[in-house]
Amino acid sequence: MDADLDTDMDMDLDMDVPMEETGTDGATATTLTAGGSGNDGGAILDITSNKSSTPSKLTTSSIGTLDGWIERLGNCEFLSEEEVSKLCKMAVDVLQFEENVKPISVPVTICGDVHGQFHDLMELFKIGGPCPDTNYLFMGDYVDRGYYSVETVSFLVAMKVRYPSRITILRGNHESRQITQVYGFYDECLRKYGSANVWKMFTDLFDYFPITALVDNKIFCLHGGLSPMIETIDQVRELNRIQEVPHEGPMCDLLWSDPDDRGGWGISPRGAGFTFGQDISEQFNHTNGLSLVARAHQLVMEGYSWSHQQNVVTIFSAPNYCYRCGNQAAIMEVDENQNRQFLQYDPAVRPGEPTVSRKTPDYFL
Amino acid sequence: MDRIIQQTDYDALSCKLAAIAKGYLPAPQFSDPNEIESYKLIHSAYFNTLKTHSRRIYGKINKSISSSFPVMNIGTYLRTVALDSQIETFLQKNDKVQIINLGCGSDLRMFQLLNKYDNLTKYLDLDFKDSIYFKNDILWNTELFRDTLHLERSNETDGELAHSDRYKLISCDLKDTTNTMTILQSLTDSQIPTLVITECLLCYMPQLESQTLINSIISFYRVGEWLSYDPIGGDQPNDRFGLIMQTNLRESRNLEMPTLMTFNSKESYASRWNIISNDIKTNIDIKDMWEIFNSDIEPTEKQRLKKLQFLDEFEELKVMQTHYVLLNAQWEHAL
Repeated sequence: MDADLDTDMDMDLDMDVPMEETGTDGATATTLTAGGSGNDGGAILDITSNKSSTPSKLTTSSIGTLDGWIERLGNCEFLSEEEVSKLCKMAVDVLQFEENVKPISVPVTICGDVHGQFHDLMELFKIGGPCPDTNYLFMGDYVDRGYYSVETVSFLVAMKVRYPSRITILRGNHESRQITQVYGFYDECLRKYGSANVWKMFTDLFDYFPITALVDNKIFCLHGGLSPMIETIDQVRELNRIQEVPHEGPMCDLLWSDPDDRGGWGISPRGAGFTFGQDISEQFNHTNGLSLVARAHQLVMEGYSWSHQQNVVTIFSAPNYCYRCGNQAAIMEVDENQNRQFLQYDPAVRPGEPTVSRKTPDYFL
Repeated sequence: MDRIIQQTDYDALSCKLAAIAKGYLPAPQFSDPNEIESYKLIHSAYFNTLKTHSRRIYGKINKSISSSFPVMNIGTYLRTVALDSQIETFLQKNDKVQIINLGCGSDLRMFQLLNKYDNLTKYLDLDFKDSIYFKNDILWNTELFRDTLHLERSNETDGELAHSDRYKLISCDLKDTTNTMTILQSLTDSQIPTLVITECLLCYMPQLESQTLINSIISFYRVGEWLSYDPIGGDQPNDRFGLIMQTNLRESRNLEMPTLMTFNSKESYASRWNIISNDIKTNIDIKDMWEIFNSDIEPTEKQRLKKLQFLDEFEELKVMQTHYVLLNAQWEHAL
C-alpha cells in the first residue's frame, strides 16, 4: 500500500513546528524561508536592518503616506508587500524605543483580543470613539482565527506609527511565529500575498511590541497574566523582550497565564504559562502598589469579567468570537479620575462581503 | 437537501483524519497497543483509495486536514473516544449482539469491531444511496478492507453492494421509516441485543421523522441501547450559540438543523427516548461533551493532548463542547 496519507500528514505536522523544536530566539525561530514573490526579498524583507538609533519624528511626507494607508486599510483593503515592508520598518523605529512596561496616562480605553475580526475592530472604534481623539491600549492578539488578520494588524500598526503617543499595542501570545502557523495568520498571508514575506515581516516586527503597560502606576496591563518568576514590575523591565515568545519563563507566562479560582500557582491547561489564584494577584497588586491587573487572552461571554475580588479583570474585544461563540465584546474606559466604565458591543455586519467567500465556521457535523 | 446533508460526511472524515494526523487519535487510554497501528492503517488506506475515486473530494479533505484547529481536533477526539468506549462496553457485556450505524457515512468503526468481537453477529451501515455507493466503492477497491472484512460481490454490474455474512452496507433514506424498518426486520434479529448508533444524524432530520424512527426501533428490538451524538442549541437566555450555528450553516452551505433549538438542552434532547409504556423499560443517560472531557479523560491523557498542539483558547473549547451531547438510552421489553 502506498503511504500517501502518511506523507501528507507528515507534511502537515511539519507545518506546525513541533513545540519542543522551535528555537526561542528570534533568529533561529525564523524557520520558514520566505520567498516566491518574484522580487529580490533581501532589502524589503529585513525590516530591522536599518534601525534608527534615536527616536525619529514623522515628516510631512510620511504623514501623508500613513494617512493614505490608514484610509485604505479602514476600507479593509490590504497594503502591498512593499508598503507593508515600509510600514514595518517605520514601526520598528517606534516600537524599539518603547519600554517593556510602557507607562500610560489616563484617560485611556483598554481593549482585549481582536483576532482578525476587522469589521468588529471598526465597530470598537465607533463605540469607543475614533483614534487619536480617544487614547487606546490594546492588549494583544490582533491576528489569527478571524479572516482579516492582515488588515487588522496592518491597520493597528499604521495607527501606532501615525499616532505613537495615542495608541499602544502590546504583544499577545498570538503575535508569535509558531502560533500564527497553527492558527491562520500564516495561511492568510500566503493566500493574500502569494508568499510568506508579509508574515515574516510582521512576525519579525512582533518581537519589538512592548509586553506590558502601566496606566497611571495603578493598572498593570498585559495579555495573559502573572508569572511565578515575576514579583515586581521592575523585574519585567529587566527582561530582554526582543525575541520570539519563549516556551517557558517569565516572558512566556506574561503572555500565556490565566487567573483561576484555585489559589496559588497551577498547571495551565493550555500547555504554556500558569494559572494563578487570588492570593497571588492580591500579593502582586500589594507589592507593586496597584489597584488592578487588566488582561485579555480568555473568551468571556459578556466581553469582560472580574475575578479575584476585583483584583483582576479580563477584557475580550472580539464579539461572536470565530463567528461562532455568540459572546459579546467589551472595552474598558478609564477616565481622568481613574473611574472605569465598560462598553459592551455586538458583532458588526460585514458590509460588502460576498457570502460565497464566507468560510463556514467549523462545527462537528 | 439530501445531498447537502450527505456532504457533511466529508467534514466528519476530514476531522477524523486531521485528528489522526496530529496524533490525537487513536487514544492510548482507549486502545490496545496493537489496535493503534491498525487504526492509522485503515484510515490511510481508505483515504488513499478515496483519492483515486474522487480527486475533488480528496483535495477538499486534504485542504481541511492541513488547516484544522486544535479546538476541532480535541472535539473530534472527544466524540470519537466517548462513542468508542461506550460501544465497547456494550460489546463486552452482552453475548450475541448486533450494531446498526444509522447515517454511517465514511465511518470505519466496523473494521476493528468486527475483527475484535466474535459476538458481534451483524454490523449494518445505513446511509443515503450516494454515501453508501461511495463507501462501497472505496471498501471494495481496497485490498485491506476486501480481505479483512471478507467482502463478497457476486455481480458488480447490477449495483450489488459489497457485503459479508456479518457486514452489510444498506442504501436507504432514513426519513422513510417504513422502508428502513422493513430492511432492518429482514436483516436483523429482534431478539438479539442491538446497539443503534446515530452520530450527527438526528440533527438533520425533521422532528416527526426522527421521533418515528426512534419509536419504531425501540418497539422492534426487545433489548437495545442507543448511542446518539448531536449538537444542542442551548437553552440559557444569553446563549446564542445554536441560533448562530443555524444561521452560519444555512448561509454558507444551505444546511438545516431543524430541531437544534427544539431539543436545545440535554433534558429535551433525551426526552425523545423516554417512551411511556408499561411494556418497555428505559434507562437514559446523557452528558454534554464538556462533562465527558472533565469526567472521562484521565489526567495523563489530558497531558498527552496538551503536548500535541498549543490550545489557544480553553473557554472556546468549553463553549463548543457544552453544545454537543452524547446520549445513552437503554431499553428492554417486558417478557
